[in-house]
Amino acid sequence: MVKRNSFFKQIVFVCLFGFTLTSCKPKENLLPNSPGEINLQQFVAIGDGQTAGYMDDALYLYGQQNSFGSILQTQLQLVGAGEIYNPLMGNANIGTNSSLLSKLILGYKTDCLGATGLSPVRFAQQGEVGALTTSVYSSQNKFTNFGIPGFRMIDISSSQIGNPNDQKYNPYFGRMSKDQFTWPVWSGDWSSVQENIFDGGYPTFCSIYLGIEDVLPYARSGATQNPMSPLAGFPGIGFEESLTQLCEQLNSQNVKAVVGTIPDITKMPYFTTIPYNGLNLDAEKAASLNQIYGPLGFSFIVGPNSFMIEDPAAGAFGVRPMVEGELILLSVPLDSMKCHQYGSVYPLRDEFVLTLAELQVIRNQILAYNQVIRQHSNLYGFALAETADFYAKLNDGFVYNGVSMSSKFVSGGAYSLDGIHLNPRGNALLANVFISAINKTYKSSIPFANALFYSSTYFP
Amino acid sequence: MKRIYLGALFLLHFVCNNYGFSQGFQVNFLSQRQQGMGLAGSAAPYDASALFCNPGSTVFLDENNLVVGVTPVFGNVMFVDSSTQTAYRSNSPVGTPFSMYAMFQLKPAAKLKFGLSINTPFGSTIQYEDNWIGRFALTRLELKAIFIQPTFAYRIADHIGIGGGFVISKGKVNLQKDIPVQDSSGTYGHAELAGKAIGFGYNLGIYFNPSKQLSVGLSYRSKINMNLPNGEATFTVPNALAANFPNGGFTGSLPLPSVTTLGFAYHPCSAFTVVLDINRVGWKAYDTLAFDYATNTSSLSDTKSPRLYKSIFAFRSGVEIKPCKSLALRIGGGYGFCPVPNGYVTPETPDGNRIYGTLGIGYSFCEKFCIDASFYYTKITRSDTNLETNLSGTYTTIALAPGLSISYKW
Repeated sequence: MVKRNSFFKQIVFVCLFGFTLTSCKPKENLLPNSPGEINLQQFVAIGDGQTAGYMDDALYLYGQQNSFGSILQTQLQLVGAGEIYNPLMGNANIGTNSSLLSKLILGYKTDCLGATGLSPVRFAQQGEVGALTTSVYSSQNKFTNFGIPGFRMIDISSSQIGNPNDQKYNPYFGRMSKDQFTWPVWSGDWSSVQENIFDGGYPTFCSIYLGIEDVLPYARSGATQNPMSPLAGFPGIGFEESLTQLCEQLNSQNVKAVVGTIPDITKMPYFTTIPYNGLNLDAEKAASLNQIYGPLGFSFIVGPNSFMIEDPAAGAFGVRPMVEGELILLSVPLDSMKCHQYGSVYPLRDEFVLTLAELQVIRNQILAYNQVIRQHSNLYGFALAETADFYAKLNDGFVYNGVSMSSKFVSGGAYSLDGIHLNPRGNALLANVFISAINKTYKSSIPFANALFYSSTYFP
Repeated sequence: MKRIYLGALFLLHFVCNNYGFSQGFQVNFLSQRQQGMGLAGSAAPYDASALFCNPGSTVFLDENNLVVGVTPVFGNVMFVDSSTQTAYRSNSPVGTPFSMYAMFQLKPAAKLKFGLSINTPFGSTIQYEDNWIGRFALTRLELKAIFIQPTFAYRIADHIGIGGGFVISKGKVNLQKDIPVQDSSGTYGHAELAGKAIGFGYNLGIYFNPSKQLSVGLSYRSKINMNLPNGEATFTVPNALAANFPNGGFTGSLPLPSVTTLGFAYHPCSAFTVVLDINRVGWKAYDTLAFDYATNTSSLSDTKSPRLYKSIFAFRSGVEIKPCKSLALRIGGGYGFCPVPNGYVTPETPDGNRIYGTLGIGYSFCEKFCIDASFYYTKITRSDTNLETNLSGTYTTIALAPGLSISYKW
């Protein structure tokens, strides 16, 4: 009895006075990480602007560090992937787009009505111009991120996009290519992206997230120019054979991969922020529009009305009101719409609008691309990241660890200010879709990224 | 040095913070003797703490008695996020549930007893490490309730006592979380909801000892609605969003559930006592956590978070052995079901079914003066995916609580 009593006293003593809280802390029993059936000695992310970290309508250093490719590799580092080598821009925040404009930030803007409100504005007067003409290639540290803004599936083995004198030249590739702006005498042709990736050894694992740029420029032009990549055709022309060619190359070297499907880009905020029926009229304006359009058989009411658009197929005058489901692009001159009757008295031009017929064509093409991607993933045993499902979930909205995420412009939390590319948080969520696919296919245990560690839109 | 530091720590937190680590945010540290015997003993009146544990049982204590006790609680919560496989920990302050009881009779062996009970049967302070993954659900919650209960008890028959008290509960709430909007330097917004609360209730008990060996007690403590009539909401957000998150008043309420206890005590001889308590805690009252803001905006609407707690049973038991007249040794344990249903576990009360063990010792220095000490330990593990926040992972809580009380009777 006495012995137990002293033992008891000891416990009390320890806990009351000599207390070190460590002894009472729960132990971490984390699940072990494992690469499963993949070897991550040499990882490469292959993709377009999303993989590169293009966001807020520019490629800038902070975006690159928080790109889909970088975040994916950060997680893969937990199971053996090496250091991240991005073709980094010089300045953390200015960046540049292909029109040499700096990135967008959320700032204040006064519109034509004199109302000041939050709006995306350029961060600097000019983009980081020199960055696109300065080579960042290093033979020492091979890039692990071959995300190239504007890069299409059909460009994978093209020598044109590395040729500064070619119409198809992509300066974002030029600055990272091993050619270093100099025509390689020894090979006789400008090197392709694929040659750069395979230069000095094949990767052991790669992510392939391509295809958006095969359709996006067409959609962004209001379906007026930049035709979509055809499905059929030789590598360099057709979507399918370009992918086959890449997969064959990887497969021949026993390279494993995760490949992503393409989301319905027409559901991105760039296309969905301005409502088709956002023409709000008072009695006077409605009457005046009824006078103008009455003879054509169109009538306007007090309250919300459809915007008027040009449509060559719509009767003799080529003008008609928009119908539900049709989209106005964020490129539309908003001040003209607000103050100069653009979209009512003056119909919106084709380049700012996607009609139902155009949307059908675009969506069918995406479905066809995805069909090809799924078939290839199946054929080559590559993991398949159904990003389309993720983007669809984002459109519906969901709650992530207490934070509401959606595809709403600015407030949705996942898209950057260009309304097309994801922001760092969105990239982390996208990376998780790829990780989920890798874990499933290759029996690996790679922890997901904490998307809340990555930032969203900054407010002034 | 360390002793001094820890002593200061105790002083700092004394009567400041309670760490809720019983079911929900209930704290069962009411009497050191009960804390030694598995938190049971409502049918075995020992000292003035019976005023609270079962007012009816006080009539069989033939004494005036003052008891003061405190139980520092060291609680550690760890959350392992299932998708990122990352562990986050709490750094909650040391909790100090305390109790003060004063019981009087006008003459020896009087039928009427009266007294005052002041204690902290509910409360919780939990704070998570900076930047933890659930920061937008909760960063810190402090719930404090002090029960003040004037009590009367009367012996209506030789073997039956009844008693009752009126409970005034004074408390405060301070809830903080981060808001997922970032300013131009990337810093997140923050919300703090704070207010003083007050609520009223009652405590009834009947006690019956059919034989010298056996006694039975039944007590009922009513539900108390803690109302926050004048809460103050403070938001730190980027300037551009200041109009969306106006600082100002809010109202809310938090129910403290009813507790019904059926207790048994068996003491075949004076050196040996076995006690068993069965609790029914009316957690069903905690259906919704609602905040009604004085000013609503597109970003700030009144919130109604479902909690949907279930009423639960808890079984507690312990024994006391007295090797000599002045010394009592106690041991006990219990099992409590968790009131929080699947899908509703929040960082506020990362609760699960729990099993716990206790040890205790009592020593009488003389007829009038005695000291009781106890030690409590529990470990709780609960995995859940919250339906509102989608926070998904496993909470592991380890709590240990050494307690001490001093009793003086005359």
